[in-house]
Amino acid sequence: MPELRKDPIIGRWVIIATERAKRPDDFKSPPEGPPEGECPFCEGKESHTPPEIRAVREGHRRPNTPGWKLRVVPSIKPILRIEGKLDRHGQGVYDVMNGIGAHEVIIETPKHIDNISDLDTQQIVHTINCYKERLIDLEKDPRFKYVLVFKNYGWAAGGGRVKHSRSQLIATPVNPKRVKEELAGAHRYFEYHERCVFCDLIKQEMASKERVLIDIDGFIAITPFASRFPFEVWILPKKHSCDFIKLESSDMKDLAEILREVLLKIKKGLGNPPYNYILHTAPFRRFKPGYWRTVDQDYHWHIEIMPKLTRVAGFEWGTGFYICPISPEKAAEFLRGVQI
Amino acid sequence: MAKLRRDPINGRWIIVNVEEPSKPDDFEKEQHIYKGDNCPFCYGHENLTPPEVDAFRKPGAQPNTPGWQVRVVPNKYPALENSGNLDRRAVGIFDMSNGIGDHEVIIDSPNHKATLDELNDHEVEAVVRMYCRRATTLIEDKRFKYILIFKNHGPSAGASLEHEHSQLIALPMVPKNVLDELHGSHHYYNFRGRCVFCDIIFQENQEKERIILENEDFISFCPYISRFPFEIWVMPKKHSPYFCHMEDREKANLSKILKQTLSRLKKILYDPAYNFIIHTSPIDETNKESYHWHIEIMPKLTRVAGFEWGTGFYIVPTPPEVAAKYLREVK
Repeated sequence: MPELRKDPIIGRWVIIATERAKRPDDFKSPPEGPPEGECPFCEGKESHTPPEIRAVREGHRRPNTPGWKLRVVPSIKPILRIEGKLDRHGQGVYDVMNGIGAHEVIIETPKHIDNISDLDTQQIVHTINCYKERLIDLEKDPRFKYVLVFKNYGWAAGGGRVKHSRSQLIATPVNPKRVKEELAGAHRYFEYHERCVFCDLIKQEMASKERVLIDIDGFIAITPFASRFPFEVWILPKKHSCDFIKLESSDMKDLAEILREVLLKIKKGLGNPPYNYILHTAPFRRFKPGYWRTVDQDYHWHIEIMPKLTRVAGFEWGTGFYICPISPEKAAEFLRGVQI
Repeated sequence: MAKLRRDPINGRWIIVNVEEPSKPDDFEKEQHIYKGDNCPFCYGHENLTPPEVDAFRKPGAQPNTPGWQVRVVPNKYPALENSGNLDRRAVGIFDMSNGIGDHEVIIDSPNHKATLDELNDHEVEAVVRMYCRRATTLIEDKRFKYILIFKNHGPSAGASLEHEHSQLIALPMVPKNVLDELHGSHHYYNFRGRCVFCDIIFQENQEKERIILENEDFISFCPYISRFPFEIWVMPKKHSPYFCHMEDREKANLSKILKQTLSRLKKILYDPAYNFIIHTSPIDETNKESYHWHIEIMPKLTRVAGFEWGTGFYIVPTPPEVAAKYLREVK
C-alpha cells in the first residue's frame, strides 16, 4: 500500500509508492563535454570567462591569472542581467518587469574535477565561505531581494556540458514564490507552537534515528519524512539560525565535511547520479513595516540535496504531489551503509 | 534584456528571453526508439493488463478481448491504490495517511504507432468522451476529492510505454497546485468580479499574437505567462468550471482543436515529448464563477534545474509570441 506523507513546512504531499520502483525507465545519455584541455574553468584558461568578481589566491597575484584556488565569474549566459532598472508595470491582466539580477558561477577548483565530493575538505570550505561572502556583497544592492545558491551536477540535473565542479548563484529582484511558501509555512507553525518547525524536526529525527544519515557536532544529515525524490537528503545546522550569512568560520569545516560525506555516499552508492543541491536561507531583511518580524525565530537555513533518479511527469506537474519510489527510512539505511 | 512576467493566477514569475529567442531547431530532439513487440496495449494482448474497467467496443463484444476503440485498465504500477480507508494520522510533527486513490490507464486507440493527433476526429472524440465518462464515474466515490486526467507523451515526459495512452488519478485530497490555482482565481474574482481566465481570453483576442487556433467553442494559444517554450493552453470560450460537463458539440470541437494543435506542435518540434494536463474544478467546489477549466500542454524541451526547483521561477527561452507564430504558420 502506498503512503501519503505531508511536508509540515509547506504542506506539500508526497506519495511513497515502493511498487513503482519497478517501472521501466531510461534516461537520455548526456552529450559529450569538451576535453580537459578546452575547459574554460581550468587554471590557465582565465581569459575564457568574463573577468572575475572575486577569487581566493595565495599572495598578491593579479586577477584573471593562474594561481587561484577558487574563482567567481559572471555567467556567460546570464538568466538575469545586472545593469538597468526594474521598471515594473502592468500589461492588461499581467505584471511585467525587466530581467534585472545577478547570475554568477563559482568555480570550486582550478583542477578539472567534476564532482565537488572529490575535492578535499579545505577546498569545500573555500566554496562555503565564498557563498557567504557573495551573499553579504549582493545584499548591498537594494534591487535584490533574494539570492539563490545552487548546484546542477550532471546533464539530467541541468548541468552543462563542461565537467568542472562549480556552483551558481542568482540574485532575484522579487522574493521567489517557493521561498515565500516555505517562510509562510514555517511562520504558521511558529504562530501556533511558538517553536521553530525545523528545530522540532531535528529533535524528532535525532530521537527516532531511522532517517538520520550523519550526525556530527553542529550538523545533521537526514532523509526527510516527506521526501519528494528517492534519496533526497537535507543537511541542517543543529543550532537555530535563519540566515546562512551568520554561519561562523569555525562551523565551516564541519559543514564542508558533512556535505562532502553525503555527496560521496550518493556518488558511490547510487552510481554517480546527477543531482541538484539548493541552499535554503532567509531573504535579505531590509526594514519594512510589518515585515520580517519573526523570521529570525521561525525560519532555519539548510541545504536540500536532490538526486535525479526519477522523472517529473504529468502527475507531478498537475498536482504538486511527488511520487517517491523508495521510503526515506530505507534510503537512509542504504546510504548509512555506503562505505566512503 | 530578459523580461519577467507574472502569472495573475498563482503569482509565479516567468523569465522570458525576448532578445534571442530559441528557434524550434535549437532544442534537443526527443529520441523515439521503437520497441513494438509484445505491447500490452495492442489487440490480442488484453490479458497482459489487469482486467479492464471500461471500454468503447462494438455491441456484444466481450470485455478483455480485441475489438475495442478506447480501453481503460488499472495501472499495473499504481501511485495510489483503491482499497481500504483513508486513515489520516500523525507521526510526531508529521501528517500521513494511506495512499488511497485510483490510478487508471486510458489506452487511446488500438493502433500501436498512432499518436493522438494521427487518430481521426471520431477516434479523438472517443478519447475525450472516455475522459468525461471516467471522471463522472469516479467522482461518485466519496473518498475521492479530485480527478486528474493527464498524458505523458514520449520518454522525456515520463511515458514508459510507447503505445499512446492517457492516465487518470483519483485523489483523496485536492492537490496543492490545484488549490493554488483555485485560490488565485478566486482572489482575482473577489477583487474584480470577473473570471481571470475569461479576462485572459479577452486580452488574447485583442492582442491576437499568441493565438494558434480557434473554433466555435475553443481557443488554443501560447499563454503570456508560459513556463515552458511552446507551452499551449486549450480553453473553452464559454465560462465553465467543470471539464466533464461539456456538451456533445463541445466534445467534438475540443477533439478537433486538440488534434490540430498537437499536430502542429509535432511538426514544428519533431514529435517532442510533452505532458498535457486537464485543469478542472473539484466537483464540490462552491464557487463556480471564478474558475474556468482548460488543458495545459507542456512540451519537454528544456531541463528543470536547481534554479527552477529553488525559486519556482521558470526560464522560457522562446517567448510565447514567437512560439505562437511558428505554430500558426506551420503547414
